[in-house]
Amino acid sequence: MFSLSEGNDNWNPGPPSRFILPFPPLIRFSNPSSGNPCTFGMTTSIFRMSKDAPEKERPMEELVNVEAVSRRFPLDNIPTHHPAHSFVSALSNASLRVSAGEFLAIAGPSGSGKTTLLNLIGCIDQPTTGRILVDGVDTSKLKPNGMTTLRREKIGFVFQTFNLIPVFTAAENVEYPLLIQGIGSRERRERVAEALDSVGLSARAQQRPDLLSGGERQRVAVARAMVHRPALVLADEPTANLDTQNATQLIDLMHGLNRRLGLTFIFSTHDARLLEHAERIVRLCDGQVVSDNSTEGGSRG
Amino acid sequence: MAKFLLLAFRNVFRNRRRTLMTLFMVGGGVAGLLLVGGFFARMFWGLREHTINSGLGHIQIFTADHFNRDEVRALDTGIDNWRQVAATVKTGGHVRGVAPRIEFYGMVSNGDKSSVFMGTAVDPVAENGLGFFPTTFTSGHDLDSKSGGEVEALVGAGLAKSMNVKVGDGLTVLSMTSDGALNGVDVEIVGIVDSGVAEMDARSLRITLPAAQRLLQSDRVTNLVVGLDKTENTDQVAAELAPRLRGLPQQLVLKKWIELATYYKQVRSLFSTIFVFLGIIVFFMVLMSSVNTLLMTMFERTREIGTMLAMGTPRAWIVALFMLEATLIGIFGAIVGVLAGNLLGVLLNHSNLHLPPPPGFTVPMSFQVLHVPSLMIGSSLLVIVSLALASILPAIRASRLQIAEALAHV
Repeated sequence: MFSLSEGNDNWNPGPPSRFILPFPPLIRFSNPSSGNPCTFGMTTSIFRMSKDAPEKERPMEELVNVEAVSRRFPLDNIPTHHPAHSFVSALSNASLRVSAGEFLAIAGPSGSGKTTLLNLIGCIDQPTTGRILVDGVDTSKLKPNGMTTLRREKIGFVFQTFNLIPVFTAAENVEYPLLIQGIGSRERRERVAEALDSVGLSARAQQRPDLLSGGERQRVAVARAMVHRPALVLADEPTANLDTQNATQLIDLMHGLNRRLGLTFIFSTHDARLLEHAERIVRLCDGQVVSDNSTEGGSRG
Repeated sequence: MAKFLLLAFRNVFRNRRRTLMTLFMVGGGVAGLLLVGGFFARMFWGLREHTINSGLGHIQIFTADHFNRDEVRALDTGIDNWRQVAATVKTGGHVRGVAPRIEFYGMVSNGDKSSVFMGTAVDPVAENGLGFFPTTFTSGHDLDSKSGGEVEALVGAGLAKSMNVKVGDGLTVLSMTSDGALNGVDVEIVGIVDSGVAEMDARSLRITLPAAQRLLQSDRVTNLVVGLDKTENTDQVAAELAPRLRGLPQQLVLKKWIELATYYKQVRSLFSTIFVFLGIIVFFMVLMSSVNTLLMTMFERTREIGTMLAMGTPRAWIVALFMLEATLIGIFGAIVGVLAGNLLGVLLNHSNLHLPPPPGFTVPMSFQVLHVPSLMIGSSLLVIVSLALASILPAIRASRLQIAEALAHV
C-alpha cells in the first residue's frame, strides 16, 4: 500500500496488492445511457458469454478509482487567450472503480476516449478535472517524479504496437522494468526466466524483436508488463496489430495470468471478439462511460 | 549500469550508415587536427633544433653586465677568465662541448667596395666539439685553427655576392679595438656559407678567435656557447650549472636557448594561435553537425522514449542515455581519427613531400608530421566533449517529451 502525505510525492509503495477474495466486484455505473448506439447489441453478447464463464474468486480491494474525470485538449495553433480558442473533449465526467484482480475491458469505437482513459489511469497524462486514485494514491497530487515512481513500481503497460526496445533481446526487454527498479542481476535473471516461461517464450529469450512474430512480440510485451509484479497492467488495444489466432492466444494468456497470479488487467479494445473474454466491460462513447457490465467470469477461450 | 551501457552501445550502431557518417566526420576532425598539429610540432621541433644547432647552442653564458648595459667599446662586457669558466662547465653532465665566441661588427672592404658586416669569432675545434649541424658551404671549406700566416675567413653567400668575392680572394676587415682605436686585418676567404637564412648570409663574416682577439686587442670573449647531448636536458643542466658559476670571480649569467630564440618563440606563438583556431573550428563543426544528427535520432526514437518514460524510466536516465550514446560516438570517432591521423602521418612522412621555403629561409621545408601523444589525447578529448555537449539539447528534449504524445508518435 502507499503512504502518502499531502503534497508529498515521495510515497512508499508497499507490497503489490493481489488479494484473492471470494466475492465478485461491485458493479458501478457511471453515466449509464441505455439508449446509446455505442452499447446497442453488445449487452446480449456479454450475458451470453457469462453463461459459460467459470466462477472465479475475486479480490474486493479497490485498486483504481476514477472520479468524475474529464480531459480536454486545446486545439493546436490557437492561443488560449484568443476568442476562437477552444478545446476538444476526449473524456467527459467519467467515473469508474476497479478492484484488484479484475480483468476489465474498456470498449468503444475509435475516438471514444479509451486510450485517454488508460493514459489517465496509467499516470502518463493528467485529467483536466476530477481525480484518479491508484492503489489509494491520489495521482492528481503527485509531482512528475512521484508519477514516474508510481508507474515504475505499480503499473505495467502493453501497447498496441508492442513498443519493444529493438536493440534489446526478448529477455532484455523483459528485464528492463526490473533494471530501472534497481533489482539485482541474479533476481532479474530469475524473474525474467519466470516471466518468459509464463508467456511460453523461454526458447525465444535471446531473439531480438525483429526476429519475433507479432504474436511473440506482444507476448514479450506482456511478460515485460508483469515481470515487476505490478498492481495493475494496462493494455491499450493489445490485439489491434494481431491476427485473430494470435489475438485470441494473447487474450487467453492475459486472462490466464489474471486468474493464476491475480494480476489486474485493464485493456482497451474495439474488437467484439475479444470482449467475449472480458469479465467486465466498460463501454465508452464520445468520451463518456455509457455502460459498465460484468460478465461474471468471462470466457476462458 | 552494464545493461544501460549495453543499450547505449547498441543504439550507437542502430543506424549504421548514419553512425558511420558521424564517425567519419568526428574521425576526420581528429585526424585533421593530428596532421596539422603533428606538422606544426615537427615544424617547431625542426625550427628549435635548427636554431640551436645553427649556432645558438643549448645554453649561453654571459657576464651579468652584458645585459645590464650596452658595450661602449669592444668586449668591455666580455668574459675575462673564460678558459676557467669553460673548464668548469665541461665537467657537468650531458655537456657535449663549450665554445667561446666573440660577437663584433665593423666594415669589410675589397678595395673597391665596403660593406657592413656582423662578425663572429670562433674556435673551430671547440665549435666542432659542440656537435652542431655542419656549416653548409656553397664553395670552399671550414676555418682551420692550425693555419699559419693568413687569417682565414668565412663569408655569407649574400655578402660574398655583394662584395663580388670568391674563395681565395682577400678582404680587409675593420673594427674598433677595446681601447677605442680603429684596427684592421687582412683575411683570405676560405669558404662561402649558405646558412639558409638570407638576411644572415647578407652580413655574416666568421674568423678565428685569435684573429678576432688580435683585431679587437682583447683576450676576452663575448660569451660561451654550451652544446648538450639532448635539448630536453637543457633545464636540468642549467639548474646544475647555475650554482657552480656563482663561485667564479666574475658575475655570470646563464641563458637557456629558449630565452634567446626570439624568432622561434614568435613562430611558435603564431602557429599555436592558428592551431587553437583550427581546434575551435573543428569543435564547432563536430558540435553543430552532431546536434543535427542526434536530434534526428531523437525524433526517430520518440515512441521508444515514450515507452521507456511510460514504464517509469527517470527522465534523468533518458538524458544520461543520450549523452552516453553521444560520448560513445565521440570515443569511437576519436579512435578512428587517431588511427587515421597516424596512418596518414606515416604515409606523408614517407612521401618525401617538400614545402616551399618559409619566409626568410632559402631551403625548402620537408613535409613531416610528428606523432604527438598529448595531441592525440587532446584532440580525442576535444571531440568527445564536443559530442557530449552536442547531445545535451537532444537529450533534454527527449527527456521532456509528453509521454502520451510520444506514444502516439508515428
